[in-house]
Amino acid sequence: MISFQPTEEEQAFFQVARSLAVEKIRPAARECEKRRTVSADLIARVNELGLSALELPELWGGLELPLLSQAIIWQGLSYGDLGVIQGLPGAGEASSLFRLSSEHRAWHRYREIAKGGQWPTVAWVDEAEQKEPLKQPIRVRRRGSGYVVDGVSSPVRLASKADWVVIAARDEEETVLLALDERVWEIEEGDIRLGLLASGIARLRFAEVYAGPEQLVARGPEADAWLNRVRARNQVIEAAKEVGLMEAALDYTIEYTAGRKAFGQEIAKFQGVSFTIAEMAFACRGAKCLVWQAASAVDRGDEQADGFAWRALACAHRSLRYVTDQAVQMLGGHGYVQEYPVEKWMRDAEAQVMLYGRERDWLIRRGEQLLSERKERVAP
Amino acid sequence: MISFTLSPQQKQMKELVHWFAKHEVRPIALEADRLGRVPDEWLEKVNKMGIQLNASSFSGGRAPSVSDKKKEKKEREGNRIAVIAAEELAWGCPAVALSLPGPGLGGPPVQSSGTPEQKQRFLSIFTKDEPRWGAYALTEPEAGSDASGIRTTARKVDGGYVLNGQKIFITNGARASWVVVFATIDPSLGRAGHRAFVVEKGTPGFTATRTVQKMGLRANETAELLFEDCFVPDDNLLGGEELYSANANRPSGFQVAMKTFDSTRPIVAAMAVGIARAAYEYTLEVVKREYPRQGRLYYEAAELLAEAEQEIEAARLLTWEAAWKADIGEPNAMEAAICKAVAGKMALHVCAMCLELLGPAGLDGHLVEKLYRDVKVFDIFEGTQQIQRLVTARRLYAPYGVHV
Ligand SMILES: Cc1cc2nc3c(=O)[nH]c(=O)nc-3n(C[C@H](O)[C@H](O)[C@H](O)COP(=O)(O)OP(=O)(O)OC[C@H]3O[C@@H](n4cnc5c(N)ncnc54)[C@H](O)[C@@H]3O)c2cc1C
Repeated sequence: MISFQPTEEEQAFFQVARSLAVEKIRPAARECEKRRTVSADLIARVNELGLSALELPELWGGLELPLLSQAIIWQGLSYGDLGVIQGLPGAGEASSLFRLSSEHRAWHRYREIAKGGQWPTVAWVDEAEQKEPLKQPIRVRRRGSGYVVDGVSSPVRLASKADWVVIAARDEEETVLLALDERVWEIEEGDIRLGLLASGIARLRFAEVYAGPEQLVARGPEADAWLNRVRARNQVIEAAKEVGLMEAALDYTIEYTAGRKAFGQEIAKFQGVSFTIAEMAFACRGAKCLVWQAASAVDRGDEQADGFAWRALACAHRSLRYVTDQAVQMLGGHGYVQEYPVEKWMRDAEAQVMLYGRERDWLIRRGEQLLSERKERVAP
Repeated sequence: MISFTLSPQQKQMKELVHWFAKHEVRPIALEADRLGRVPDEWLEKVNKMGIQLNASSFSGGRAPSVSDKKKEKKEREGNRIAVIAAEELAWGCPAVALSLPGPGLGGPPVQSSGTPEQKQRFLSIFTKDEPRWGAYALTEPEAGSDASGIRTTARKVDGGYVLNGQKIFITNGARASWVVVFATIDPSLGRAGHRAFVVEKGTPGFTATRTVQKMGLRANETAELLFEDCFVPDDNLLGGEELYSANANRPSGFQVAMKTFDSTRPIVAAMAVGIARAAYEYTLEVVKREYPRQGRLYYEAAELLAEAEQEIEAARLLTWEAAWKADIGEPNAMEAAICKAVAGKMALHVCAMCLELLGPAGLDGHLVEKLYRDVKVFDIFEGTQQIQRLVTARRLYAPYGVHV
């Protein structure tokens, strides 16, 4: 039955997330950005509320929530500040892999170290597909019963804080999924200034690092199958965060333009302004619908779920860029300076979009999927 | 619980209407466009099948009686079913869909504001064997978007009202058995002076002066109506005197017109979605069949098609959201405006992308070329995209006390 009504539990979670976002996260955002890390009390608060374990397996003491509920919660949290959200330590993108392979022996040590709801931080390096034309992917070669990892990753979030790194890469033949946990990498901070500066974005350098067989999580078709599912789940979560940020930018801009006067009246009364606000709202709501739809498709195990996730992320990317750019525009010169949050949101948005894949790539993939489909589907 | 799958009833309706659209509507679409009308025999046939266009609650059968409406209220799926059905019908052909017998846009105001006697009198005619139409006449030469500016007058006389004025662009206006006509008892009262009347065909002083030629939707009739000292009995004042006297200071006639939009805008949006989907599906098949596999053209096509699919889906979900809100009895004016604005713009964009993918070959007696001409008006009637932005922005700024 078509319905847009969140469950009571989802609404309650959303309220908690929104309050935290507005009361704690947003006020701390500039300071976190300046210090390039999320403050300890924010992290403590997030852990206290259990928000770092939404996706983690129940077996591990996580909440293992449906993806749709998580999407709603991340949307609420990111309303505060995406830079802070992306810098929250913990299992990050690897959560989905943990959930799907909760009993795998590669995670024994991870679980041992995790105490009192403090999950060691994992950087997620997925180079199993060539995504960037400008970069050499990380190389993985077999050696004996293990692997040798060599090369420099693209910038990823949580890299500078990582206790663990999960790498997806290709050896000569197949996809390999490795878990590295001994700080066998070097951090290359680089000169990153665009956005998400509190998120610990950095590159990771691996110089002929040996990973033993006990660090192999999966390879070949098994690794591909896991990766596809992890990617779809994360794409939905990232798109949900993007919706949260665009809602923040929209609401802030509505309030600002309702109060700002020019030519003797509130600028909201000029249609060049109010129509832009309406357009921004259209973009937010459309993206939100696609994200919720993709999340529920993943939860249902729909065979098209990955395609829905690509579609949702592509739409979220486009909408996010549009909405945050217009937010700056609607504030005029005030939009460009750091006394107001919108310039940061626009930078964060662009960095986020760069980290999570090109809109055009997702569209082409979805398009190929559509072109290979056969049957006429009338009623889903 | 949030869900985007169809209930058994919704699914059944979708399949049924799709079957009809595919096997009965689509086959006559191009010919009807060329002729500029839908053949009478076809209209008689579908009327006998019990298929009608009723914008307030698509029933797939005869117009709902008063008791049906109560039942629907309990189940509260009517709006969702209506948008699902509208999408499928327009997928078949929007011009033919709008020409289907039934109360059409005239249905919602009669349903929502008519007295029980009026509902009975005006809606029961659609149970007849020969096709009948209803229509909705708000627009005037000098008042389209600004509906408050209508000039058609209704002068109170003994036993009724005398109408004078002109209405333009009225869908099915010449063939309709009755038309809901908006007029003012006193232009100086502004919106408070508005009244809605049901004017029956053949009433002296009421004539359909001409039908207009259009870019698209050619198979559907768009008429100009003239009222010259046209006497309409009190019984045809929609809702009766009480509706207006009970709300002496409230602009009820105007509200009747505006309230209609909350249920019809999602329908119009759904039709735009259906048109876009028709163009997209057609083009997808052509690309699958004729484009060289792999290579630059192929990837470009894949990208454009995925973009089309994404935009269609987003507009559809926004439309469902507006219909869902109406079903659960929450105010949905903003959602109705949003889905209409998004779908109207999206559909033209998608049709244009599809034409681009088809190339010049798409010009020749082609479904997509027709859909492109048809779809533009979906961004205009039932409120232009500018008006939808206005409605949306007003609601977004309302909490800040700023009237835009
Ligand atoms: C095929 C067809 C079928 C129709 N069917 C019906 C029907 O059955 N019944 C009926 O009553 N009407 C019908 N209409 C009329 C339709 O609803 C109007 O054409 C529409 O509302 C626009 O009004 P208008 O043409 O007077 O344009 P105008 O109101 O003159 O608008 C001209 C332009 O100005 C813009 N504009 C106007 N006001 C504002 C504003 N405040 N802010 C910003 N921009 C503004 C508009 O968006 C538009 O771009 C139909 C029209 C067509 C073409």
